[in-house]
Amino acid sequence: MARSDLYCNYSESPYPIRQGLANAHKAYWQALAAPGNWFNGKQRVAIACEVRNALSCPFCEQRKNALSPYTLQGEHLKGDVLGDEVVDAVHRVVTDQSRITKNYIDDNAKLGFSEEQYVELVGIVVNVFSIDEFHRALGLPLEPLPEPMAGEPDHYRPGLTEQDTAYVAMIPPEGAVGDEADLWEAAKTANVLRALSLVPSAVREWMGIADEQYLSGEAMMNFSGPNGRAINRMQIELVAGRVSSINECFY
Amino acid sequence: MLSLSADLSDATVNLQMINGDEAATDGDVAHARALMKFAETFALRDEQSLADARETLLDEAGPGVLVDAAAVAANFQRMVRIADSTGIPLDTRSAAMSVDIRKELDLQRFGSAKNTPPTSLKTKLLSYIARPMAKIMLRRMEAKAQKDRS
Repeated sequence: MARSDLYCNYSESPYPIRQGLANAHKAYWQALAAPGNWFNGKQRVAIACEVRNALSCPFCEQRKNALSPYTLQGEHLKGDVLGDEVVDAVHRVVTDQSRITKNYIDDNAKLGFSEEQYVELVGIVVNVFSIDEFHRALGLPLEPLPEPMAGEPDHYRPGLTEQDTAYVAMIPPEGAVGDEADLWEAAKTANVLRALSLVPSAVREWMGIADEQYLSGEAMMNFSGPNGRAINRMQIELVAGRVSSINECFY
Repeated sequence: MLSLSADLSDATVNLQMINGDEAATDGDVAHARALMKFAETFALRDEQSLADARETLLDEAGPGVLVDAAAVAANFQRMVRIADSTGIPLDTRSAAMSVDIRKELDLQRFGSAKNTPPTSLKTKLLSYIARPMAKIMLRRMEAKAQKDRS
């Protein structure tokens, strides 16, 4: 069997899964296993493993209920591949993301866990979590994590970034040029699209999944016509809005 | 987005569905109550109620609707984490278009609102024209796309 057929083929699903969804999930699982820009394949897969650990981590549960998320000391439920700061960041993004601050990211950078690594980590966490959550929504067992591929990160950083909008540096709206020209069309972008752009491949990876789980950029501009889905745009936005409301998503 | 899609579909919706008001599901959104319950039980991680909501949606609307609703719900578990863990503010254009809706749904109560500056007078003034202009532009784009398809 080819490597790409090992994961996310949904042959056991009681419900037919659109091929586009299966392909997007399969493509991400392959990308997850490969070396990234700032982590190698083994570290990337270990980050994915921590996404799952976070959901049953007693320390995360305790911290979520604490008044201050930065004073409590304790041990996470974790594997042994990643450093403590990296594990902590994964668990925070999964279980307590609304209390992450710029100081937290800057302090980690002083300890050697760089802003670029943090952005790549956020990309991995949200993509793995989203695919896992798709399985949970349908009552399907989670996919086994992929076998890491050999190789080292290339430490690629985009040429044009700005630091003033968010906690992390991002490519400016007019900065998607050259190797980043595929990220968005001439200044037509949104902060949520730019958020992970310090690691451009993280943007590409999440867009590949969003195009299928939600809508492609082109389909997003179509509010009333056919969209290639079994639910119309109002139904899509009802589901999106209700989930976002419970998650207290202002954005 | 729900409000805009309803406007452009000439449909009636009550936005309080977003806040979980069951009475608000009596509008033009097909299977609204079942979709709302599915999204809600999923986001609250109430596994038994999620299983019940999944069966209800499946019986009422079929597997295609269930799978696409699951995909959207899972997608929006991601968006809040991207926004909060990078501290992005609401874009100026979105802020102008959503002044009334943010007020109606009381979104300012969410902690992550801190990343977006309070609505300025300029944004309030812009909000009067931003939404009607967006509707005109989107209607034109949809008409062109429809023409291209046919």
